[in-house]
Amino acid sequence: MNIISSPTIQTKRVRPTISKSLLYILCIILAIVFLFPITWSIITSFKPPAEAAAIPPTGLPSYISWENYQKFNGFGDGAGRYLFNSVSVAIMTVAGTVILSTLAGYGFSRFDFPVKNLLFLMILTTLMIPFQMILTPLFLILGALGLQNTLPGLALVYITFQLPFGVFIMRNSFDTVPRELEEAALLDGCSSVSLLYRVMLPIVLPGVITAGIYAFLNSWNEFLAALIFMNHQNMFTFPILLNSVNYGLYGAVDWGALQAGVTISILPSILIFLLFQRYYMQGLTGGSVKA
Amino acid sequence: MKYLFRHARLVSVLVLILATFALSLPSSAQEPVTVQFWSRDSAATLVQSLADAYNATHDNQVEVTLIPAAEYITKLGTAIAAGEPPDLLAIDLIYVPQFAAADQLTEISDLASQLPFFDTLSPSHIRLATYEDGLYALPFNAEASVLLYNRDLFRQAGLDPEQPPTTWQEIYDDAVAISALGEDIDGFYFSGACAGCNAFTFLPLIWASGGDVLSEDGSEATLTDPAVKAALEFYHQMWAEGLIPETSQTDTGAEFLSAIFSGNVAMLGSGAFSISTIKNEHPEIDFGITFLPGQEGGVSSFAGGDSIGIPSGSAHPQEAFDFIEWALSDEVQLEMYAATASLPVRTDLVQNKYFDEDPRLQTSAEAMAFGRTPYSLVYNQLFNDANGPWLAMIQQAVFDGEIDEAIAAAQEQFTEIIEGQ
Amino acid sequence: MIETSGTSTEAMLTAQPRSRNRTIRRHTGLLFVLPAVTFTTIFFILPLLMTIWMSLHNWPLLGQSTFIGFENYSSLTSDRQFWSSLGFTIRYTLLITPPIFVLAFVLALLVNLPLRWIGIFRTAYFIPVVIGLGASSLLWVWLLNDRVGAINTLLRQANIIEGSLIWLGSIDTAIFAIIVSVTWKTVGFTMVLLLTGMQAIPQEIYQAAMVDGASFLGRLRFITLPLLRSTIALALVLSVIGSFLAFDQFYIMTRGGPRNQTITAVYWIFNNSFTYFKMGYGSALSIVLLGILVILSMLQLRLLRRDVG
Repeated sequence: MNIISSPTIQTKRVRPTISKSLLYILCIILAIVFLFPITWSIITSFKPPAEAAAIPPTGLPSYISWENYQKFNGFGDGAGRYLFNSVSVAIMTVAGTVILSTLAGYGFSRFDFPVKNLLFLMILTTLMIPFQMILTPLFLILGALGLQNTLPGLALVYITFQLPFGVFIMRNSFDTVPRELEEAALLDGCSSVSLLYRVMLPIVLPGVITAGIYAFLNSWNEFLAALIFMNHQNMFTFPILLNSVNYGLYGAVDWGALQAGVTISILPSILIFLLFQRYYMQGLTGGSVKA
Repeated sequence: MKYLFRHARLVSVLVLILATFALSLPSSAQEPVTVQFWSRDSAATLVQSLADAYNATHDNQVEVTLIPAAEYITKLGTAIAAGEPPDLLAIDLIYVPQFAAADQLTEISDLASQLPFFDTLSPSHIRLATYEDGLYALPFNAEASVLLYNRDLFRQAGLDPEQPPTTWQEIYDDAVAISALGEDIDGFYFSGACAGCNAFTFLPLIWASGGDVLSEDGSEATLTDPAVKAALEFYHQMWAEGLIPETSQTDTGAEFLSAIFSGNVAMLGSGAFSISTIKNEHPEIDFGITFLPGQEGGVSSFAGGDSIGIPSGSAHPQEAFDFIEWALSDEVQLEMYAATASLPVRTDLVQNKYFDEDPRLQTSAEAMAFGRTPYSLVYNQLFNDANGPWLAMIQQAVFDGEIDEAIAAAQEQFTEIIEGQ
Repeated sequence: MIETSGTSTEAMLTAQPRSRNRTIRRHTGLLFVLPAVTFTTIFFILPLLMTIWMSLHNWPLLGQSTFIGFENYSSLTSDRQFWSSLGFTIRYTLLITPPIFVLAFVLALLVNLPLRWIGIFRTAYFIPVVIGLGASSLLWVWLLNDRVGAINTLLRQANIIEGSLIWLGSIDTAIFAIIVSVTWKTVGFTMVLLLTGMQAIPQEIYQAAMVDGASFLGRLRFITLPLLRSTIALALVLSVIGSFLAFDQFYIMTRGGPRNQTITAVYWIFNNSFTYFKMGYGSALSIVLLGILVILSMLQLRLLRRDVG
């Protein structure tokens, strides 16, 4: 479960007696504080609706009930529709980000061409200028392209704002691949594309996974752009649906159903993170990914 | 082989192109179409049952999209701007002038005037649907704000449930008596973080006292009217004395019926729609309906609800109008509206067998007949915006007690918004 | 598809003048980066320029736009809500940054200890980072709710409060509650950044200091903190910009209330463009905010560079 490889030598700093158990107790208390909200939400989502809405809140559910999930499924066009929307946007975003970043990372790492640095800088600037600032014209551009209110339209925007990170990671990944390998392959008659695909890709795969995970999480969790670009209810992504549930129907918020929705929304993120923790962390440390 | 293959591809491309053309040709009259119909989710039950009934009896189908009420204008505006308006839309009647002025609704004066029952349609709806002598929408559902009260709590406090309050003083006295019943029991409730709710339930208090917040034509803000101040003082006093539960402060309108459902709140302003909701969800609650009173008596009501219109970019305007006409017919108004405790939008049908059975519906229907509605092209920004001056004024005055400052600030912002339109 | 196999190998094997090979490789490189550059141009550079252009117009969402020069900018100066939103955004940023950093630093020290299973704790503290801010805001709205929420119940049981506290009802408790929720959600991120920085510090330095008899606090003060400066600066830039662009948590948790006191700058832009339909004015607001952000980032980057240099 290690996020980052443990340090080795600092052992001497901890006196292996009471202070050690105190530290564990502190660690455990903090872990409870950090995990309580999520756990409580998951538990509540399995309560019978009456218990989920009880004032004041009750403890553990008297029995496991799927009713909140059924009620949540009753919102709008049903949870399946919104899961489909969110999943398809996420898949498109991941695929687009990975392909474009890999190509561009390869290009920036291995080739010299006019205005190379300028183009690289241009892509990185996207990182510095937050997309919130340009939502209004983006809205118009998507409209002009006929992509307003479509899942691919939203994915295109997400891809663009994943690119600086993805390209950066991928360029660094390619930079770590020895040139000799490439030259040998070229002499064997590989084209640039098949060289990239057959020889380089397996080596830079960790970078690809890192870029992919970030693309997935950011697209799955994004709220503001989806709120603005998706104005037909059947095109809402999951976070937008959740927000509508929180608006209440008939003057009452269904708290149990809301927590069912929150649970469905956070579990994939946590799962993906736990599965690919190492790659995720490598992304945080600047993308100097080692295989 | 290769040659043949190439031909096959060419042929299939041609076929595809032809097919696309054929599909994009105007469909013949017999071809049933699907009408995309938008409504806010607060009208969900009625809208869905109407669509189901219509679809069961017609070749053309109506597909309903429900949008959270608080986001409706944003979603509608952006959909229109994106060139994807629905074919038919139900919209809060107060927004019709704004959308008509922006050229986004189809003028239906001629079609409408041919309806045999045109003269019986809800006058507030028709007034609001009229922009520069043209008619842009018809009434779809009607709402009227009333005072809803819990008869059980009245009885428990030794009050006569047949004698609901008729002045602010009486509301206050009753609230005091009921709040004294216990820690959890509160005399009065309102959604303190809901902008639209307070236009609906608070404005009538001002109107019934002879005041107003806008001039007749909506060109001037008149929040300095003494009735506005008196009404805010009235709410503030109840708040300060703990007659209103604290939780009302953050209720964005998502929770106001929970207050009634809990059975611990004695009075709140609400609309006719809540009658059927309470009857369905909590039949055990014994509640009454009376008019929202003025300071020294008198009554008023906010005549609200949705109008139904055809967006300028509608793909099926004729089919859309067919649905409107059907929805306004005698049978639908009686058997689908009145029978499910929704107010008919035709004044000639307000007296009907269903409403005769429930005096509460009768009261609401009467309120609708004398109800008022502000006419403004910037209604959303003035009243309904959760971040607009109306709600800010109510919060500052009621919760913080800074009544004069609140009014002065709101008057200034109202004026700015009206002049900037 | 980019098909260069024949030419490039041929070029290599026939020992053509290097320049030809170069030319081909040059264009190949351009082709590889072209898709990413196209995306960035259409969905970033173009909208950025359009924002400037639109800010000079009266640009309603519905209807015709008209050129009005700098009128949006001049009316912006008298827009009280904009200034109070900006003020609130700054206040929020100033208030939330210290708790995040102090807590993140303590956590980083803690999870940097060579204890068994410490990795599990690291993961536990980090998990909230990967869930969406939208979902976490909805989670906290519910936890903070005065009737069905767990927080009031826990505080009541601990005898810290009596009755119910309406967290989001008044500005001070609302800011406090939101800071707690956002800190919970983001502190793990800063923790890991700091942790990475700490692990990059050579152990020999600590060992030397211990030989000299430096206390734990002394080592912290004279070794860890100074050597972490560039990491801290980086984490600071990310955190401050994140706070400056806050929207989701306020849109979902307070809707800008009570009394419009928690409307952030991005929230106000959103309102103008998509609720009041004044897209030109919204663009002008964006440009101003962008200017502020650029200045802010440059200041922070200077801090970073001085440190590196």
